[in-house]
Amino acid sequence: MASHRLDLDAIIDLIPAKARVLDLGCGDGLLLALLAQRRQVLARGVELNEANVRACIARGLSVRQGNIEEGLADYTDQAFDYVILSETLAYLDRPLPVVQEMLRVGKRAVISFDNAGYWAERWRALRGRGAGYDLCSGEPRARAITLAQFIEFVTCAGAHVEQRIFIGRRGRVRYWPTLFARIAVYVITRL
Amino acid sequence: MIVQTQYVTFERELKLDSGATLGPITLAYETYGQLNQDRSNAILICHAWSGDAHVAGYHTPNDPKPGWWDEAVGPGKAFDTDKYFIVCSNVIGGCAGSTGPTSINPHTGKPYGLSFPIVTIRDMVEAQRWLMDHLGLTSWLTVTGGSMGGMQALQWAVSYPERVRSAIILAATAALSPQTIALNEVARQAIYADPNWNKGDYYGRTPPNAGLAVARMIGHITFLSDASMREKFGRRLKNEKYGYSFETEFEVESYLRYRGNAFTKRFDANSFLYLSKAMDYFDLAYGLPSLASAFRHITDTRFLVVSYTSDWLYPSWQSKELVRALLQNGLDATYVEIDSNYGHDAFLLEVDRLAELTRDFLKRVETTDWRVTVSI
Repeated sequence: MASHRLDLDAIIDLIPAKARVLDLGCGDGLLLALLAQRRQVLARGVELNEANVRACIARGLSVRQGNIEEGLADYTDQAFDYVILSETLAYLDRPLPVVQEMLRVGKRAVISFDNAGYWAERWRALRGRGAGYDLCSGEPRARAITLAQFIEFVTCAGAHVEQRIFIGRRGRVRYWPTLFARIAVYVITRL
Repeated sequence: MIVQTQYVTFERELKLDSGATLGPITLAYETYGQLNQDRSNAILICHAWSGDAHVAGYHTPNDPKPGWWDEAVGPGKAFDTDKYFIVCSNVIGGCAGSTGPTSINPHTGKPYGLSFPIVTIRDMVEAQRWLMDHLGLTSWLTVTGGSMGGMQALQWAVSYPERVRSAIILAATAALSPQTIALNEVARQAIYADPNWNKGDYYGRTPPNAGLAVARMIGHITFLSDASMREKFGRRLKNEKYGYSFETEFEVESYLRYRGNAFTKRFDANSFLYLSKAMDYFDLAYGLPSLASAFRHITDTRFLVVSYTSDWLYPSWQSKELVRALLQNGLDATYVEIDSNYGHDAFLLEVDRLAELTRDFLKRVETTDWRVTVSI
């Protein structure tokens, strides 16, 4: 799936001013920089790629190079108001312990992902083109996650959904998100 | 850039970690650039094991070699002397102008030798703090250094958090690993085994150059990496064919011999021993329940921690452990692992990426009011 970052605006809308925020897999730091600018958050990031980490530092961010698991383990319980996992859930080998750790270091977890139940994805699958990622894309292996699967997963993680935003082709989606949401953004918190 | 080494002597005694005292203390130091009006642009560079106060520039127009980190310190460089007032001083226990085992013991009128007290990284920092006060500085914009210099920078942040706005820690650790202590011990044994060492009493006589050269060779092996050695020397021979003798044949052998011998011309064996001990003893968690508790008094100091992928002397796991301890205190710590084949030497050689990092990091340190609590 294309890496459109429509979820960024939605995430920014969800985060209150001056919150303490940790972004896992923060890339070149675009989201954190926007959050720092528009929401004056206290921003921290974790990123694996050295060039991305340097790009974050160039934006004036404080980032720790490393994988998500070791990055989370650095922090004490409830050190953050929000821990963000944006467009990364599908690529995790073991999503459950990661999300549990997110809810240990943060009061809330913000998770965005591409909805594998989006009508165009279903249509692709029906035509025999397979669900999920394209073999030719060069993208790493990714899971196909539907909204229903995610809700089940949240329960497994001992959490519940506090807020959600669905994004379709032309902005926010109100009806039938399971079919019309291209991207889903959930705020979850411990039960 | 022409610079002069300056000297200051403090006619008082420093109480050392060991309980002993040392004094009077002379410090050799150099400064570069101009101190600004509000004295907010001072940077302290701490040198590593074999370094000295001469970090950059030349002493005379005909000087064949610049300072030890000239690639990173100067106009427009990583530590920009057009913007910052940079200070570098020789550590106590060293042999390049500051009080050390080659200095005259005021009680005997003879060189200290082994009567010089054991000094620690914290003791070195205490002496540097005297220099800081002497220069009329109240805070450092940053304290930086690689290897043993990084240890001093960390110790600065722990000892004087209110005077250190930021610290840039390169290829260093919060405590030496047993592997590194072991290598230091082998280097020391090489010196002890040299009959000229004579329990440290060799001043005015032939110094233990053979032992010191071997000690330095061990050092040079640890500064390189498997990959950098393959790249630099391969199995190349000095001659075309094997000589089937014990002559120096491989280029790597000849390199080590050259480096070992060159080192004896500029470094004192006792000083080498003292500095190795200072590093072995360095452990910020010593006497504390955890490394994290060592940083509990720091609130505003920002950290940039840099490790290098092929550095096996101070491997990345040590920097990660350090960063974890900082982050557990809610401190502002940035960590970068630079992909490099140069081994431990990378901190001296990877200057382009370092320049980019320090420029960006210091910009943030300078532009935010540092008394605003930056920890979470």
